[in-house]
Amino acid sequence: MTAAFDILLRLAAWLLLAPLLPGLINRVKALAAGRRGPPVFQLYFDLAKLWRKGVVLSTAVSPAHVLGPAVSWVALLSAALLLPVGPAGASLSFRGDALLFIYLLALARFCLALASLDTGSAFEGMGVAREVSYAVLNEAALITALLALCVQSGSVSLATMLAPSAGAGAALLAAGLFGVLLAENCRVPFDDPNTHLELTMVHEAMILDHSGPPLAAILHGAALKLLLFAVLLTEAVLPLGQWTFWPALGALTVSVLLVAVAAGLVESLLARLAFRRVPLLLTTAFLFCLFALLVAWKGGVS
Amino acid sequence: MSMDWLLLPAGAGLVAGIFTCRFPRIWLMATFAGALAAFAAAVAGLYGAAWTHDGGAVWDWQPGWSLGGTEVHLQLDGLSAFFLVLLAVLGGAGTLYASGYWTDAQHPRTAPTGRAWWNGLLLSMGLVLLCANGLHFLIAWELFTVCAYFLITQERQRPEARAAGWLFFAASHVATLCLFAFFALLAAHSGGWELGPALRAHLDLKPLFWLALIGFGIKAGMFPLHIWLPSAHANAPSHVSAILSGMAIKLGIYGLMRFTGWLPVPDAAGWVIAGLGVVSAVLGVAFALGQHDLKRLLAYHSVENIGIILMGLGFALIAAANGHAAWGQLALLGALLHVWNHGLFKALLFLGAGSVLHATGTRQMSRLGGLWRAMPWTAGLFGLGAAAIAGLPPLNGFVSEWLVYLSLFDAVSAHGPAAFAAMLAAVFLGLTGALALACFVKVCGVVFLGLPRTPVAEHAHECGWRMRLPMLLLGAACVTIGLAPAWFLPALTAAAAAWQPPVAGAPEPLAPPALHDPAAPLALLGAFHLALAVLVTAAVVLLWRRVRRNGVERAGTWDCGYAAPTPRMQYTAGSFAAIITGWFAWILRPVRHTHPPAGFFPAAADFTEHTPETVLEEVVTPVGRLVMRLSAAARALQDGRVQSYILYLLLGLAALGVLAVIGGAR
Repeated sequence: MTAAFDILLRLAAWLLLAPLLPGLINRVKALAAGRRGPPVFQLYFDLAKLWRKGVVLSTAVSPAHVLGPAVSWVALLSAALLLPVGPAGASLSFRGDALLFIYLLALARFCLALASLDTGSAFEGMGVAREVSYAVLNEAALITALLALCVQSGSVSLATMLAPSAGAGAALLAAGLFGVLLAENCRVPFDDPNTHLELTMVHEAMILDHSGPPLAAILHGAALKLLLFAVLLTEAVLPLGQWTFWPALGALTVSVLLVAVAAGLVESLLARLAFRRVPLLLTTAFLFCLFALLVAWKGGVS
Repeated sequence: MSMDWLLLPAGAGLVAGIFTCRFPRIWLMATFAGALAAFAAAVAGLYGAAWTHDGGAVWDWQPGWSLGGTEVHLQLDGLSAFFLVLLAVLGGAGTLYASGYWTDAQHPRTAPTGRAWWNGLLLSMGLVLLCANGLHFLIAWELFTVCAYFLITQERQRPEARAAGWLFFAASHVATLCLFAFFALLAAHSGGWELGPALRAHLDLKPLFWLALIGFGIKAGMFPLHIWLPSAHANAPSHVSAILSGMAIKLGIYGLMRFTGWLPVPDAAGWVIAGLGVVSAVLGVAFALGQHDLKRLLAYHSVENIGIILMGLGFALIAAANGHAAWGQLALLGALLHVWNHGLFKALLFLGAGSVLHATGTRQMSRLGGLWRAMPWTAGLFGLGAAAIAGLPPLNGFVSEWLVYLSLFDAVSAHGPAAFAAMLAAVFLGLTGALALACFVKVCGVVFLGLPRTPVAEHAHECGWRMRLPMLLLGAACVTIGLAPAWFLPALTAAAAAWQPPVAGAPEPLAPPALHDPAAPLALLGAFHLALAVLVTAAVVLLWRRVRRNGVERAGTWDCGYAAPTPRMQYTAGSFAAIITGWFAWILRPVRHTHPPAGFFPAAADFTEHTPETVLEEVVTPVGRLVMRLSAAARALQDGRVQSYILYLLLGLAALGVLAVIGGAR
């Protein structure tokens, strides 16, 4: 009974807190640019409005156009349930759940990609092609990061892998995972969430034809993914599992906020890269993770 | 024993099918009944093996007949029963599919002979699994190759089919040659044709492993030896492609597993197999991304999945050689489960591709599109198979890849000599998974979604129930293994118990490890998958009803403001994969034909690109040409003049004389 209550409580926390992060990033960007910017809670208003709105469907689409976002959203939410929340640990944890986590993200990507290709638009095709291609490098980087954590902790379960700090390679791992966070969540310098040119978009091009509740599911899923990666990054670097409850929770909150601020600052200070250069930057993120793995490896052997 | 009463009717049904191939209904009933009996026998054998737990034979049949001078000896143990289950499932599904796909009405000339060869193929593959005698193993192996050749060339009016059949035949015979040498040397060293764990004692047999690796590796389609596979699988009728890809290449894996478990192997064996596995996995999927032919693309994915299986087998061997049985056992279980899984989802995908081919008459993806309207069942089931092969939870492909990943991660945290290799393998496995996902997004999106690109795609039709039912069956099997993987653990451990490689220095077989018991996490994974499936269903229903309630309006696709988009403006398979194929251009070597628009009033312009089979065209063909040239040069010796031949005789005699003198001096 308490386990079910625990899971429900976590679900509620993930669902309610996730849309806060994009709002914070937008606020940071607005401050950096000297604007007032939209309210921090703007995404909540958008989601509520979209949920009530009617849907415009392309004449080309199949049911996958609506089902894809639903499956994708559930996949991201289940991935969130696998992730330990700082001091409270994970409600679901078993040997090998770290790999399930990565493949749940892949499931979300697969369903969203098919839902986008469903429209038969060349722009959606471009967006999906970029998304799935860049994801190849992201996935390699994520697996490498998990290997580093596995070497550090000797475990294949997220709850025990993320409890201690990443050790000597923590800074490298943080840099690598931050790169993956920006790429997976389609932020500058990989993708520009605010661009208005369909030809140069990745994630936004994929969802051009979505509207109403399916779009709400996609936007909420994207916010969830951002929070997911911010928490993962924090817990990979800080030894939250070894601290007592309140300091750990505080550190988690502050660090997630810091990640949001950093993403906002990157977005304000950098231009987005030319598409040809994106794989280079992604490879750099992968190399950071790889060096973190090697550092962890050397530390373990000697 | 009860097994006799199951395997005998299985064989009888298949033989009866050969003789009744002119009567499709009787053939269907006989063959299907045979496959059912074989399935029952294999399951009974597998669970019998799980019950005894010692890895020995559960059925042994020596009728006292003799063939080729040695006694017939058939045997079923955990490992062969494991492969026999897959053969029976795919054989049954393929039989049913063939009865709707390759009918007498459409193929009056080839349908009856095709049915006979089909039964011959099933029968000889079953015999390969059962034979416990090297000579008879070879005979069954050769029979299976011949049957497969005649099935691949069923459409022999097409030159590509003939070429594909020839390539398959030639490659298979290189493999058979290696196996002839392998079995002959084995028999010469061990003193008999009998196969079995008794061979473990012969430590001098180690180098024979390399012959087996080439022979079975060609059949399995591991990377540099896969040259025959894409064209053979693409040009065979689809039910044949399904069994070739699902089962026939697994016999190569079976051979490798069988003989690495029975024979002492060199120390490098595990490393080589794991390395070939990594190469096959990554390059197989890279080549698949470059293909525009639906069935050829699926064929390259067989190379990829064989790579994943070999990775598991290789690390199991490394573990056995190093005495770390715990993670090796996980790797072996992953490899074994992937044998089943790949058989199931690849057969499903090939049957789906067959339905597309049947409905549209083309395998070119750029001529398809929007097929979900006409073929909702095929589209849905193909999508399911695509998610399974991309290794996505909650389906079966993820379970086996997860087991392989677990073993690699355990190997890394064990800090043993294999840890560094395991790191690399894990990263490459992740890369493979993401590439496979990209490839199947491309396939599903281009073939089934969007708008029809040509009239043939527009006028497609759904396949009949005889073709739909086998696909449903295979899809259900994929979902079942995904949602309840723990049910299949006894079968896996029974098969794994029969694989006990002799360890260098320690002739005792390894005890089944109790540490790192995979049962508990496997059950938890199954529970998670079940919960995920329930949640997905709930979310789908919720969103669907919400959309219906809020009201739906129909409009054209937003094309950046362009008002008159046409289906030809959709993204193509080639453009979709261009980013990734660009990364792999060093090995894919795509061939481009460009006629760019030129001048002020350009005429028609075009751009085509295709990815050839690099190993075949850049390595095998040049070497073959060199051999032919050398042979032609040697032919000049035979000029037809008596004087020359007398000269050769004299030279030969002189050489013999010199040899005799030198030999005498020594």
